[in-house]
Amino acid sequence: MDSAKLTPASSGFVLAAAITVLVNTALACAKDADAPLKAFMKSIAGHDWTTQGLFDLVLFAGLGLIFTYTRIGEKIEPNRLIAALVGAVVIAGLGLALWFGFT
Amino acid sequence: MHIGISDVLLLAHATFGVAGCLAALWVFVETLSARAANIGRIRTGALVTAACMAAACICGGYWYLHFYPAEKALILNGPWPFAHNLFMETKEHLFFATGILAFLLPIATREKLDTNSAARKLVLSVAALVAITGLAMEGAGAVIDHGVKIALLQNVSKETR
Repeated sequence: MDSAKLTPASSGFVLAAAITVLVNTALACAKDADAPLKAFMKSIAGHDWTTQGLFDLVLFAGLGLIFTYTRIGEKIEPNRLIAALVGAVVIAGLGLALWFGFT
Repeated sequence: MHIGISDVLLLAHATFGVAGCLAALWVFVETLSARAANIGRIRTGALVTAACMAAACICGGYWYLHFYPAEKALILNGPWPFAHNLFMETKEHLFFATGILAFLLPIATREKLDTNSAARKLVLSVAALVAITGLAMEGAGAVIDHGVKIALLQNVSKETR
């Protein structure tokens, strides 16, 4: 029989991935516009890019675990979750290209 | 002939990136006809995708931090400054999205793909996104490389005039 539900882990980590991709995009634009933020990020791991990568990884894993145990992702219909993830990646790609292309 | 650590890291970065895209494509194709017999291959493909993208990130990240500044200076003084301002800036930040998606793939493939249509749709979407964004990274890398090349050619043509 065909089931159409995702497990708490899958749905939780999909939601975490969508949020992390959007936060990553916002952070990339924010540090480009705000020199003190970039300097602060550089002071943490030696380079702002390294800090951003580590931050993304911790955010994805942390949110994924929280959403898995609270089962928040399960409450969202799978097609909406998938659309949110695809939309987040499209926004990230276009947003970053527009930001760095026109600033 | 001299092959330095910079060359090895840069080529390894591109190679692992392409391998990750191919592995994601492998997962996509296997998932189209997911059944009990190929679940193991799908999960192996997902792990290979994540491992290749992690290796691409480590090689590319080390190269970017230690060897890119000299190339960046060349690009910004050359005819194609947008190779850095647009392509490298977008690539270095969008790559984190590709990495997150690659790490999501092994989690998504733990689902019962042969009996769960929503899970199949999820794996197909994530694998496609990894392959598409990964190939976009490869294209951006080629533009950045060309930005360095034409900057160097401009310098050489000035010297030979």
